[in-house]
Amino acid sequence: MADTRKEVFTKGIFKENPVFIIMLGLCPTLGVTTQVVNGIGMGLGVIFVLTFSNVFIALLKDFIPNSIRIPAYIVIIAAFVTIVEMVMHAYVPAIYNALGIYLPLIVVNCIILGRAEAFASNNSVYDSFLDGIGMGLGFTLSLILIALIREVFGNGTITLIAMGSFDGVIKIPLLYNYPIRILTLAAGALLLMGYLKAFFNWYSSRKQETI
Amino acid sequence: MNKIVKVGVTLLIISSFAATSLAVVNKITEPKIAEYEAKVLEDALKEVSGEFEVGSQREISSNDTIKALYLLEDNNGEHTGYILQLEGTGYGGPMTLMAGFLTGGEIIDAKLLNNSETPGLGKKAENKTYMDKFKMTGSLEKEVPIKKEMLDKGDADAVSGSTVTFSGIAKTLAKGSEYVKNLGGK
Repeated sequence: MADTRKEVFTKGIFKENPVFIIMLGLCPTLGVTTQVVNGIGMGLGVIFVLTFSNVFIALLKDFIPNSIRIPAYIVIIAAFVTIVEMVMHAYVPAIYNALGIYLPLIVVNCIILGRAEAFASNNSVYDSFLDGIGMGLGFTLSLILIALIREVFGNGTITLIAMGSFDGVIKIPLLYNYPIRILTLAAGALLLMGYLKAFFNWYSSRKQETI
Repeated sequence: MNKIVKVGVTLLIISSFAATSLAVVNKITEPKIAEYEAKVLEDALKEVSGEFEVGSQREISSNDTIKALYLLEDNNGEHTGYILQLEGTGYGGPMTLMAGFLTGGEIIDAKLLNNSETPGLGKKAENKTYMDKFKMTGSLEKEVPIKKEMLDKGDADAVSGSTVTFSGIAKTLAKGSEYVKNLGGK
């Protein structure tokens, strides 16, 4: 492996960001990002599943015969997703309800199977662990970025986790009364995704030119 | 042959490990989930019962819209109405509603439970005041407003932009009201 440990960890956040560069898992990305708290919840779920499935697949890679590697991966991933689903349902029902169908759909999220196949199946356990956390973090940060823009401009609020007397909703003065509604709808999600992708393309191409 | 056995046994081992760990997690989380579901149901029932007491649940043959039926009683144990759990279709797919009815079919109050409506638009139907426009409608004299034109100007303005959610809720409530009327107070 030419990559150093640090690179393995950080590449998921910008250089190989799963959402903006590799463009995997767009369906849940656009689906849940109407509120910041959903982005955080989904992101944490994906970090957990991705890290543990990466570790287990790296551990078992010599044990699993090549011909059944995909079904074996899916069983491992599905088990972790179901654990996340049950734990969220029991302890954070609000986020569980908001994520809806997208939570069980983490099973078929291309990021997770993609990392299992492309990285964990031929790297060491420790590297796979770092890759899982890095990729998961990159995914979470992307979700939070999209959700933040959509919620602030589309609804005039920022919804975080309710704690004590704070109900979790920050209202933004002017935008709360005159929001740009389209951003909270599906069309707005796609538009915003296009702009952000364009920005990331421009940014990474500019970086290459200076080198 | 050997290869098939080896592959099968490997899959079996992985699957049984997965199943065992799921069973353990389920054992821990199941009571919590049941507790939460029961609380949600109880809160919703209380909210739509008006001044009456929530009585027992009655077994019914559920159809596409009507999913469950609870009886309502006043302080003397006299039967005064029903609570129906209803299912309708909104802009974002299926929605679950809980609604209280008097025996004549008039809506006491309603509450939108599970739904996938658009935040900021259809999702506003979760607010308590949203259902005010349906209250006490559904009698023979005053039907449930299933079209926007049947609302007051202020209410009609409030639902514009989320007409699909509104008519989904209204039609579901109207079906519930019809169902209660057909029960004939029994």
